[in-house]
Amino acid sequence: MQREEKQLEASLDALLSQVADLKNSLGSFIYKLENEYDRLTWPSVLDSFALLSGQLNTLNKVLKHEKTPLFRNQVIIPLVLSPDRDEDLMRQTEGRVPVFSHEVVPDHLRTKPDPEVEEQEKQLTTDAARIGADAAQKQIQSLNKMCSNLLEKINKEERESESGGLRPNKQTFNPADTNALVAAVAFGKGLSNWRPSGSSGPSQPGQPGAGTVLAGASGLQQVQMAGAPSQQQPMLSGVQMAQAGQPGKMPSGIKTNIKSASMHPYQRNT
Amino acid sequence: MEAPPVTMMPVTGGTINMMEYLLQGSVLDHSLESLIHRLRGLCDNMEPETFVDHEMVFLLKGQQASPFVLRARRSLDRTGAPWHLRYLGQPEMGDKNRHALVRNCVDIATSENLTDFLMEMGFRMDHEFVARGHLFRKGIMKIVVYKVFRILVPGNTENTEALSLSYLVELSVVAPAGQDVVSDDMRNFAEQLKPLVHLEKIDPKRLM
Repeated sequence: MQREEKQLEASLDALLSQVADLKNSLGSFIYKLENEYDRLTWPSVLDSFALLSGQLNTLNKVLKHEKTPLFRNQVIIPLVLSPDRDEDLMRQTEGRVPVFSHEVVPDHLRTKPDPEVEEQEKQLTTDAARIGADAAQKQIQSLNKMCSNLLEKINKEERESESGGLRPNKQTFNPADTNALVAAVAFGKGLSNWRPSGSSGPSQPGQPGAGTVLAGASGLQQVQMAGAPSQQQPMLSGVQMAQAGQPGKMPSGIKTNIKSASMHPYQRNT
Repeated sequence: MEAPPVTMMPVTGGTINMMEYLLQGSVLDHSLESLIHRLRGLCDNMEPETFVDHEMVFLLKGQQASPFVLRARRSLDRTGAPWHLRYLGQPEMGDKNRHALVRNCVDIATSENLTDFLMEMGFRMDHEFVARGHLFRKGIMKIVVYKVFRILVPGNTENTEALSLSYLVELSVVAPAGQDVVSDDMRNFAEQLKPLVHLEKIDPKRLM
Protein backbone atom coordinates (compact mmCIF):
# COMPACT_ATOMS: atom_id res chain seq x y z
CA MET A 1 0.00 0.00 0.00
CA GLN A 2 2.76 2.36 1.04
CA ARG A 3 4.82 1.55 -2.03
CA GLU A 4 1.90 2.27 -4.29
CA GLU A 5 1.34 5.61 -2.68
CA LYS A 6 4.97 6.50 -3.13
CA GLN A 7 4.83 5.38 -6.74
CA LEU A 8 1.74 7.45 -7.28
CA GLU A 9 3.37 10.51 -5.84
CA ALA A 10 6.54 10.06 -7.81
CA SER A 11 4.69 9.55 -11.07
CA LEU A 12 2.48 12.53 -10.35
CA ASP A 13 5.54 14.67 -9.84
CA ALA A 14 7.07 13.49 -13.08
CA LEU A 15 3.80 14.12 -14.87
CA LEU A 16 3.54 17.60 -13.38
CA SER A 17 7.01 18.59 -14.52
CA GLN A 18 6.41 17.22 -18.01
CA VAL A 19 3.12 19.06 -18.30
CA ALA A 20 4.71 22.25 -17.01
CA ASP A 21 7.43 21.95 -19.68
CA LEU A 22 4.80 21.37 -22.32
CA LYS A 23 2.81 24.38 -21.14
CA ASN A 24 5.88 26.56 -21.29
CA SER A 25 6.79 25.55 -24.78
CA LEU A 26 3.20 25.97 -25.95
CA GLY A 27 3.17 29.40 -24.35
CA SER A 28 6.37 30.47 -26.04
CA PHE A 29 5.14 29.11 -29.37
CA ILE A 30 1.92 31.10 -29.08
CA TYR A 31 3.84 34.19 -28.14
CA LYS A 32 6.08 33.68 -31.15
CA LEU A 33 3.10 33.29 -33.45
CA GLU A 34 1.28 36.31 -32.12
CA ASN A 35 4.13 38.74 -31.81
CA GLU A 36 6.65 37.76 -34.43
CA TYR A 37 4.41 36.52 -37.20
CA ASP A 38 5.91 38.81 -39.81
CA ARG A 39 9.43 37.67 -39.08
CA LEU A 40 8.61 34.02 -38.58
CA THR A 41 10.34 31.47 -40.77
CA TRP A 42 9.20 27.94 -41.45
CA PRO A 43 12.25 26.28 -39.86
CA SER A 44 11.55 28.14 -36.67
CA VAL A 45 7.94 26.96 -36.65
CA LEU A 46 9.17 23.46 -37.40
CA ASP A 47 11.52 23.69 -34.44
CA SER A 48 8.68 24.59 -32.13
CA PHE A 49 6.62 21.72 -33.46
CA ALA A 50 9.53 19.34 -33.04
CA LEU A 51 9.95 20.53 -29.50
CA LEU A 52 6.27 20.02 -28.75
CA SER A 53 6.28 16.58 -30.31
CA GLY A 54 9.37 15.64 -28.34
CA GLN A 55 7.73 16.72 -25.12
CA LEU A 56 4.53 14.88 -25.91
CA ASN A 57 6.65 11.83 -26.59
CA THR A 58 8.33 12.04 -23.21
CA LEU A 59 4.97 12.60 -21.60
CA ASN A 60 3.69 9.44 -23.24
CA LYS A 61 6.75 7.56 -22.13
CA VAL A 62 6.27 8.71 -18.56
CA LEU A 63 2.67 7.56 -18.64
CA LYS A 64 3.59 4.21 -20.14
CA HIS A 65 6.43 3.63 -17.73
CA GLU A 66 6.06 0.44 -15.79
CA LYS A 67 6.46 2.20 -12.47
CA THR A 68 3.47 4.43 -13.17
CA PRO A 69 0.32 3.13 -11.50
CA LEU A 70 -2.87 3.07 -13.52
CA PHE A 71 -4.30 6.52 -13.11
CA ARG A 72 -7.57 5.21 -14.41
CA ASN A 73 -8.07 3.45 -11.12
CA GLN A 74 -7.84 6.68 -9.17
CA VAL A 75 -10.88 8.87 -8.62
CA ILE A 76 -10.84 12.55 -7.74
CA ILE A 77 -13.80 13.71 -5.68
CA PRO A 78 -14.22 17.35 -4.75
CA LEU A 79 -14.85 17.56 -1.03
CA VAL A 80 -15.60 21.23 -0.55
CA LEU A 81 -16.91 23.70 -3.09
CA SER A 82 -16.92 27.35 -2.09
CA PRO A 83 -17.45 30.56 -4.03
CA ASP A 84 -14.71 32.28 -2.01
CA ARG A 85 -11.26 32.99 -3.33
CA ASP A 86 -8.73 30.38 -2.32
CA GLU A 87 -5.23 31.78 -1.96
CA ASP A 88 -3.54 28.40 -1.90
CA LEU A 89 -5.21 27.35 -5.12
CA MET A 90 -4.24 30.66 -6.70
CA ARG A 91 -0.64 30.07 -5.84
CA GLN A 92 -0.56 26.49 -7.05
CA THR A 93 -2.20 27.23 -10.36
CA GLU A 94 -0.19 30.41 -10.93
CA GLY A 95 -3.24 32.60 -10.68
CA ARG A 96 -5.29 30.81 -13.25
CA VAL A 97 -7.92 29.25 -10.95
CA PRO A 98 -8.91 31.67 -8.19
CA VAL A 99 -12.04 29.93 -7.00
CA PHE A 100 -12.85 26.27 -6.48
CA SER A 101 -16.52 26.61 -7.17
CA HIS A 102 -19.22 24.71 -9.00
CA GLU A 103 -18.39 26.53 -12.24
CA VAL A 104 -14.81 25.51 -12.27
CA VAL A 105 -15.12 21.91 -11.13
CA PRO A 106 -17.01 20.39 -14.08
CA ASP A 107 -14.38 21.70 -16.48
CA HIS A 108 -11.33 20.76 -14.49
CA LEU A 109 -12.38 17.40 -13.10
CA ARG A 110 -14.05 16.22 -16.29
CA THR A 111 -13.42 12.63 -17.28
CA LYS A 112 -15.87 12.27 -20.15
CA PRO A 113 -16.10 14.47 -23.21
CA ASP A 114 -18.73 17.19 -23.66
CA PRO A 115 -22.29 15.90 -24.14
CA GLU A 116 -22.35 17.26 -27.70
CA VAL A 117 -19.06 15.61 -28.47
CA GLU A 118 -20.29 12.39 -26.91
CA GLU A 119 -23.39 12.52 -29.11
CA GLN A 120 -21.29 12.97 -32.21
CA GLU A 121 -19.03 10.15 -31.25
CA LYS A 122 -21.98 7.84 -30.65
CA GLN A 123 -23.34 8.82 -34.04
CA LEU A 124 -20.07 8.00 -35.70
CA THR A 125 -19.80 4.61 -34.03
CA THR A 126 -23.33 3.62 -35.01
CA ASP A 127 -22.62 4.68 -38.60
CA ALA A 128 -19.48 2.64 -38.65
CA ALA A 129 -21.23 -0.42 -37.27
CA ARG A 130 -24.03 -0.03 -39.81
CA ILE A 131 -21.83 -0.39 -42.87
CA GLY A 132 -20.79 -3.91 -42.14
CA ALA A 133 -17.37 -5.51 -41.94
CA ASP A 134 -16.82 -6.19 -45.66
CA ALA A 135 -17.66 -2.72 -46.88
CA ALA A 136 -15.52 -1.27 -44.15
CA GLN A 137 -12.59 -3.43 -45.24
CA LYS A 138 -13.03 -2.31 -48.85
CA GLN A 139 -13.06 1.32 -47.80
CA ILE A 140 -9.90 0.85 -45.76
CA GLN A 141 -8.14 -0.73 -48.69
CA SER A 142 -9.12 2.02 -51.10
CA LEU A 143 -7.93 4.64 -48.61
CA ASN A 144 -4.58 2.90 -48.29
CA LYS A 145 -4.25 2.66 -52.06
CA MET A 146 -5.03 6.34 -52.52
CA CYS A 147 -2.49 7.29 -49.86
CA SER A 148 0.26 5.23 -51.44
CA ASN A 149 -0.55 6.66 -54.88
CA LEU A 150 -0.29 10.14 -53.49
CA LEU A 151 3.00 9.35 -51.79
CA GLU A 152 4.43 7.96 -55.00
CA LYS A 153 3.40 11.04 -56.92
CA ILE A 154 5.00 13.31 -54.34
CA ASN A 155 8.22 11.30 -54.32
CA LYS A 156 8.39 11.34 -58.09
CA GLU A 157 7.92 15.09 -58.14
CA GLU A 158 10.60 15.50 -55.51
CA ARG A 159 13.07 13.35 -57.40
CA GLU A 160 12.43 15.11 -60.67
CA SER A 161 12.74 18.57 -59.23
CA GLU A 162 15.88 17.70 -57.31
CA SER A 163 17.60 16.54 -60.46
CA GLY A 164 16.91 20.00 -61.81
CA GLY A 165 18.64 21.41 -58.75
CA LEU A 166 15.58 23.29 -57.64
CA ARG A 167 16.14 22.63 -54.01
CA PRO A 168 19.72 23.22 -53.09
CA ASN A 169 18.90 24.22 -49.57
CA LYS A 170 17.33 20.87 -48.75
CA GLN A 171 20.70 19.34 -48.04
CA THR A 172 21.54 19.90 -44.42
CA PHE A 173 24.28 17.33 -44.27
CA ASN A 174 26.76 15.78 -46.59
CA PRO A 175 27.40 12.05 -46.15
CA ALA A 176 30.87 12.34 -47.63
CA ASP A 177 31.70 14.92 -45.01
CA THR A 178 30.32 12.66 -42.33
CA ASN A 179 32.64 9.89 -43.40
CA ALA A 180 35.61 12.21 -43.65
CA LEU A 181 35.02 13.65 -40.21
CA VAL A 182 34.46 10.28 -38.59
CA ALA A 183 37.62 8.95 -40.20
CA ALA A 184 39.54 11.99 -39.02
CA VAL A 185 38.41 11.64 -35.44
CA ALA A 186 38.72 7.87 -35.32
CA PHE A 187 42.19 7.43 -36.74
CA GLY A 188 43.45 10.74 -38.00
CA LYS A 189 42.73 10.43 -41.69
CA GLY A 190 43.43 13.76 -43.29
CA LEU A 191 44.84 15.28 -40.12
CA SER A 192 48.42 14.27 -40.42
CA ASN A 193 48.51 14.66 -44.16
CA TRP A 194 52.23 14.18 -44.37
CA ARG A 195 51.99 10.83 -42.72
CA PRO A 196 50.62 7.88 -44.64
CA SER A 197 49.39 4.96 -42.59
CA GLY A 198 51.95 3.48 -40.24
CA SER A 199 54.92 1.74 -41.69
CA SER A 200 55.84 4.00 -44.58
CA GLY A 201 56.25 6.88 -42.17
CA PRO A 202 59.88 6.19 -41.33
CA SER A 203 60.90 6.27 -44.96
CA GLN A 204 59.93 9.91 -45.31
CA PRO A 205 62.41 11.68 -43.03
CA GLY A 206 65.31 10.50 -45.16
CA GLN A 207 64.35 12.89 -47.92
CA PRO A 208 65.59 16.37 -47.33
CA GLY A 209 63.30 17.64 -50.09
CA ALA A 210 61.61 20.93 -49.50
CA GLY A 211 58.20 19.41 -49.98
CA THR A 212 58.62 17.16 -47.03
CA VAL A 213 60.12 19.66 -44.69
CA LEU A 214 57.40 19.41 -42.18
CA ALA A 215 56.67 15.84 -43.14
CA GLY A 216 60.13 14.97 -42.05
CA ALA A 217 59.75 16.82 -38.83
CA SER A 218 56.70 15.03 -37.63
CA GLY A 219 57.72 11.69 -39.07
CA LEU A 220 60.89 11.91 -37.10
CA GLN A 221 59.01 12.83 -34.02
CA GLN A 222 56.92 9.73 -34.26
CA VAL A 223 59.58 7.25 -35.21
CA GLN A 224 62.39 8.67 -33.17
CA MET A 225 62.35 6.52 -30.13
CA ALA A 226 65.95 6.49 -29.02
CA GLY A 227 67.65 9.10 -31.18
CA ALA A 228 68.43 12.45 -29.65
CA PRO A 229 66.78 15.46 -31.22
CA SER A 230 70.10 17.00 -32.08
CA GLN A 231 70.48 14.59 -34.95
CA GLN A 232 68.06 16.69 -36.99
CA GLN A 233 68.90 19.03 -39.78
CA PRO A 234 69.80 22.38 -38.27
CA MET A 235 66.94 24.13 -40.05
CA LEU A 236 64.45 22.02 -38.19
CA SER A 237 66.11 22.04 -34.86
CA GLY A 238 63.88 24.74 -33.51
CA VAL A 239 60.80 22.74 -34.44
CA GLN A 240 62.25 19.49 -33.22
CA MET A 241 63.13 20.83 -29.80
CA ALA A 242 59.64 22.00 -29.22
CA GLN A 243 58.15 18.80 -30.54
CA ALA A 244 60.27 16.46 -28.52
CA GLY A 245 59.04 18.38 -25.54
CA GLN A 246 55.37 18.81 -24.99
CA PRO A 247 53.44 18.94 -28.24
CA GLY A 248 50.59 20.59 -26.51
CA LYS A 249 52.48 23.47 -25.00
CA MET A 250 54.41 25.16 -27.74
CA PRO A 251 55.48 28.62 -26.71
CA SER A 252 54.45 31.25 -29.19
CA GLY A 253 58.01 32.19 -30.04
CA ILE A 254 58.43 29.03 -32.08
CA LYS A 255 55.58 30.04 -34.31
CA THR A 256 57.54 32.86 -35.85
CA ASN A 257 60.59 30.70 -36.09
CA ILE A 258 59.09 28.16 -38.42
CA LYS A 259 56.59 30.34 -40.16
CA SER A 260 58.67 30.46 -43.30
CA ALA A 261 59.10 26.71 -43.33
CA SER A 262 55.44 25.96 -42.79
CA MET A 263 54.05 28.23 -45.49
CA HIS A 264 54.72 25.72 -48.16
CA PRO A 265 52.45 25.17 -51.16
CA TYR A 266 52.79 21.41 -51.23
CA GLN A 267 51.35 20.53 -47.92
CA ARG A 268 47.86 21.84 -48.20
CA ASN A 269 46.62 20.11 -51.25
CA THR A 270 44.14 17.67 -49.60
CA MET B 1 49.62 5.48 11.79
CA GLU B 2 46.03 4.91 10.90
CA ALA B 3 45.01 3.62 7.50
CA PRO B 4 44.44 6.21 4.80
CA PRO B 5 40.81 6.93 3.97
CA VAL B 6 39.14 4.67 1.43
CA THR B 7 39.08 7.34 -1.23
CA MET B 8 42.84 7.40 -1.28
CA MET B 9 43.28 3.67 -1.61
CA PRO B 10 44.10 2.41 -5.05
CA VAL B 11 41.24 0.73 -6.87
CA THR B 12 42.05 -2.93 -7.10
CA GLY B 13 39.97 -5.36 -9.03
CA GLY B 14 36.29 -5.30 -9.71
CA THR B 15 36.25 -2.19 -11.86
CA ILE B 16 33.01 -1.61 -13.69
CA ASN B 17 33.44 -2.09 -17.38
CA MET B 18 32.15 1.10 -18.90
CA MET B 19 31.04 1.10 -22.49
CA GLU B 20 30.57 4.05 -24.75
CA TYR B 21 27.53 3.95 -27.01
CA LEU B 22 28.00 6.20 -29.98
CA LEU B 23 26.00 7.58 -32.90
CA GLN B 24 27.56 10.00 -35.36
CA GLY B 25 26.44 12.28 -38.11
CA SER B 26 27.31 15.61 -39.59
CA VAL B 27 25.66 18.87 -40.46
CA LEU B 28 26.73 21.45 -42.99
CA ASP B 29 27.81 24.84 -41.71
CA HIS B 30 24.78 26.71 -42.99
CA SER B 31 22.39 24.37 -41.16
CA LEU B 32 24.23 24.57 -37.89
CA GLU B 33 21.97 27.28 -36.49
CA SER B 34 18.79 25.29 -37.00
CA LEU B 35 20.39 22.24 -35.45
CA ILE B 36 21.54 24.20 -32.40
CA HIS B 37 18.11 25.71 -32.09
CA ARG B 38 16.46 22.33 -32.15
CA LEU B 39 18.94 20.84 -29.73
CA ARG B 40 18.39 23.68 -27.31
CA GLY B 41 14.74 22.81 -27.31
CA LEU B 42 15.15 19.05 -27.05
CA CYS B 43 17.92 18.85 -24.51
CA ASP B 44 18.07 19.64 -20.85
CA ASN B 45 17.64 23.25 -20.03
CA MET B 46 21.08 24.58 -19.37
CA GLU B 47 23.19 27.40 -20.64
CA PRO B 48 24.54 26.44 -24.06
CA GLU B 49 28.11 25.34 -23.53
CA THR B 50 30.80 25.93 -26.06
CA PHE B 51 34.19 24.36 -25.89
CA VAL B 52 37.55 24.43 -27.57
CA ASP B 53 39.53 21.27 -27.04
CA HIS B 54 42.88 20.10 -28.24
CA GLU B 55 43.05 16.35 -28.65
CA MET B 56 46.20 14.36 -29.20
CA VAL B 57 46.21 10.71 -30.06
CA PHE B 58 49.14 8.66 -28.84
CA LEU B 59 50.22 5.29 -30.14
CA LEU B 60 52.33 2.67 -28.48
CA LYS B 61 53.76 0.34 -31.06
CA GLY B 62 54.46 -2.98 -29.47
CA GLN B 63 55.35 -6.34 -30.89
CA GLN B 64 51.73 -6.91 -31.81
CA ALA B 65 50.47 -5.66 -35.11
CA SER B 66 47.97 -3.19 -33.77
CA PRO B 67 49.29 -0.33 -31.68
CA PHE B 68 47.75 0.69 -28.41
CA VAL B 69 45.90 3.98 -28.73
CA LEU B 70 45.32 6.56 -26.03
CA ARG B 71 43.62 9.90 -26.47
CA ALA B 72 44.68 12.92 -24.47
CA ARG B 73 42.43 15.94 -24.48
CA ARG B 74 42.81 19.34 -22.94
CA SER B 75 40.67 22.40 -22.89
CA LEU B 76 41.98 25.45 -24.67
CA ASP B 77 39.39 27.84 -23.32
CA ARG B 78 38.97 26.71 -19.75
CA THR B 79 42.05 27.41 -17.72
CA GLY B 80 42.62 25.08 -14.84
CA ALA B 81 40.57 22.25 -16.26
CA PRO B 82 42.39 18.93 -15.92
CA TRP B 83 43.63 16.99 -18.91
CA HIS B 84 41.49 14.05 -19.92
CA LEU B 85 42.89 10.68 -20.90
CA ARG B 86 40.70 8.18 -22.63
CA TYR B 87 41.05 4.65 -23.89
CA LEU B 88 38.57 3.41 -26.48
CA GLY B 89 38.46 -0.24 -27.35
CA GLN B 90 37.47 -1.87 -30.60
CA PRO B 91 33.81 -1.50 -31.48
CA GLU B 92 31.81 -4.54 -30.52
CA MET B 93 30.33 -5.98 -33.63
CA GLY B 94 27.85 -8.74 -33.93
CA ASP B 95 24.53 -7.53 -32.68
CA LYS B 96 22.76 -6.03 -35.64
CA ASN B 97 19.83 -5.00 -33.50
CA ARG B 98 21.94 -2.74 -31.44
CA HIS B 99 21.45 0.70 -32.85
CA ALA B 100 24.61 2.33 -31.62
CA LEU B 101 28.31 1.66 -31.90
CA VAL B 102 29.49 0.12 -28.65
CA ARG B 103 33.06 0.10 -27.45
CA ASN B 104 34.88 -0.27 -24.21
CA CYS B 105 35.78 3.04 -22.67
CA VAL B 106 38.06 4.05 -19.83
CA ASP B 107 38.23 7.72 -18.84
CA ILE B 108 40.42 9.47 -16.36
CA ALA B 109 41.38 13.04 -15.55
CA THR B 110 45.06 13.74 -15.30
CA SER B 111 47.44 16.53 -14.45
CA GLU B 112 49.20 18.68 -16.99
CA ASN B 113 52.33 16.59 -17.40
CA LEU B 114 50.39 13.93 -19.25
CA THR B 115 52.25 14.25 -22.52
CA ASP B 116 55.62 14.01 -20.79
CA PHE B 117 54.47 10.91 -19.01
CA LEU B 118 53.20 9.28 -22.16
CA MET B 119 56.38 10.08 -24.06
CA GLU B 120 58.46 8.59 -21.26
CA MET B 121 56.32 5.47 -21.39
CA GLY B 122 57.14 5.12 -25.05
CA PHE B 123 53.99 6.51 -26.65
CA ARG B 124 54.37 8.68 -29.69
CA MET B 125 51.87 11.22 -30.90
CA ASP B 126 50.11 10.00 -34.00
CA HIS B 127 47.90 12.94 -34.82
CA GLU B 128 46.21 15.84 -33.15
CA PHE B 129 43.36 18.18 -33.87
CA VAL B 130 41.43 21.01 -32.34
CA ALA B 131 37.72 20.59 -31.76
CA ARG B 132 35.57 23.65 -31.40
CA GLY B 133 31.85 23.42 -30.82
CA HIS B 134 28.83 23.07 -28.59
CA LEU B 135 27.88 20.62 -25.91
CA PHE B 136 24.38 19.55 -24.90
CA ARG B 137 23.06 17.04 -22.42
CA LYS B 138 19.86 15.09 -22.14
CA GLY B 139 19.81 12.84 -19.12
CA ILE B 140 22.78 10.55 -19.56
CA MET B 141 23.09 11.33 -23.24
CA LYS B 142 25.70 13.76 -24.36
CA ILE B 143 25.36 15.53 -27.68
CA VAL B 144 28.41 17.27 -29.06
CA VAL B 145 28.44 19.36 -32.22
CA TYR B 146 31.94 20.36 -33.18
CA LYS B 147 34.17 21.32 -36.03
CA VAL B 148 37.45 19.52 -36.49
CA PHE B 149 40.42 21.73 -37.19
CA ARG B 150 43.63 20.41 -38.60
CA ILE B 151 46.74 21.65 -36.86
CA LEU B 152 49.11 22.89 -39.51
CA VAL B 153 52.16 23.18 -37.34
CA PRO B 154 52.48 20.40 -34.80
CA GLY B 155 51.97 21.77 -31.36
CA ASN B 156 50.70 25.13 -32.49
CA THR B 157 47.03 25.29 -31.73
CA GLU B 158 46.60 28.81 -33.03
CA ASN B 159 47.40 27.96 -36.59
CA THR B 160 44.53 25.71 -37.58
CA GLU B 161 42.44 25.06 -40.59
CA ALA B 162 39.00 23.52 -40.77
CA LEU B 163 38.97 20.01 -42.06
CA SER B 164 35.67 20.28 -43.91
CA LEU B 165 32.62 22.46 -44.29
CA SER B 166 30.64 20.41 -41.83
CA TYR B 167 30.28 20.01 -38.14
CA LEU B 168 30.51 16.55 -36.67
CA VAL B 169 27.56 15.62 -34.48
CA GLU B 170 28.07 12.90 -31.89
CA LEU B 171 25.50 11.41 -29.55
CA SER B 172 27.17 9.35 -26.88
CA VAL B 173 26.37 7.64 -23.63
CA VAL B 174 28.87 6.14 -21.23
CA ALA B 175 27.16 3.37 -19.31
CA PRO B 176 28.07 0.10 -17.66
CA ALA B 177 28.30 -2.88 -19.96
CA GLY B 178 25.14 -4.74 -20.78
CA GLN B 179 22.67 -1.90 -20.79
CA ASP B 180 21.52 -2.15 -24.35
CA VAL B 181 18.27 -0.35 -23.67
CA VAL B 182 20.40 2.78 -23.79
CA SER B 183 20.80 2.36 -27.51
CA ASP B 184 17.03 2.37 -27.96
CA ASP B 185 16.79 5.70 -26.17
CA MET B 186 19.58 7.02 -28.34
CA ARG B 187 17.81 5.92 -31.48
CA ASN B 188 14.60 7.62 -30.40
CA PHE B 189 16.47 10.82 -29.79
CA ALA B 190 18.22 10.54 -33.11
CA GLU B 191 14.80 10.27 -34.79
CA GLN B 192 13.96 13.69 -33.43
CA LEU B 193 16.90 15.23 -35.18
CA LYS B 194 15.96 13.96 -38.62
CA PRO B 195 15.96 15.24 -41.31
CA LEU B 196 18.45 17.88 -40.19
CA VAL B 197 21.09 15.32 -39.39
CA HIS B 198 21.19 11.57 -39.73
CA LEU B 199 22.81 10.02 -36.71
CA GLU B 200 23.86 6.49 -37.37
CA LYS B 201 26.46 4.02 -36.27
CA ILE B 202 29.46 4.39 -38.48
CA ASP B 203 32.10 1.72 -38.32
CA PRO B 204 35.49 3.45 -38.55
CA LYS B 205 37.11 0.32 -39.96
CA ARG B 206 34.98 0.67 -43.06
CA LEU B 207 36.49 4.06 -43.71
CA MET B 208 40.10 3.10 -43.43
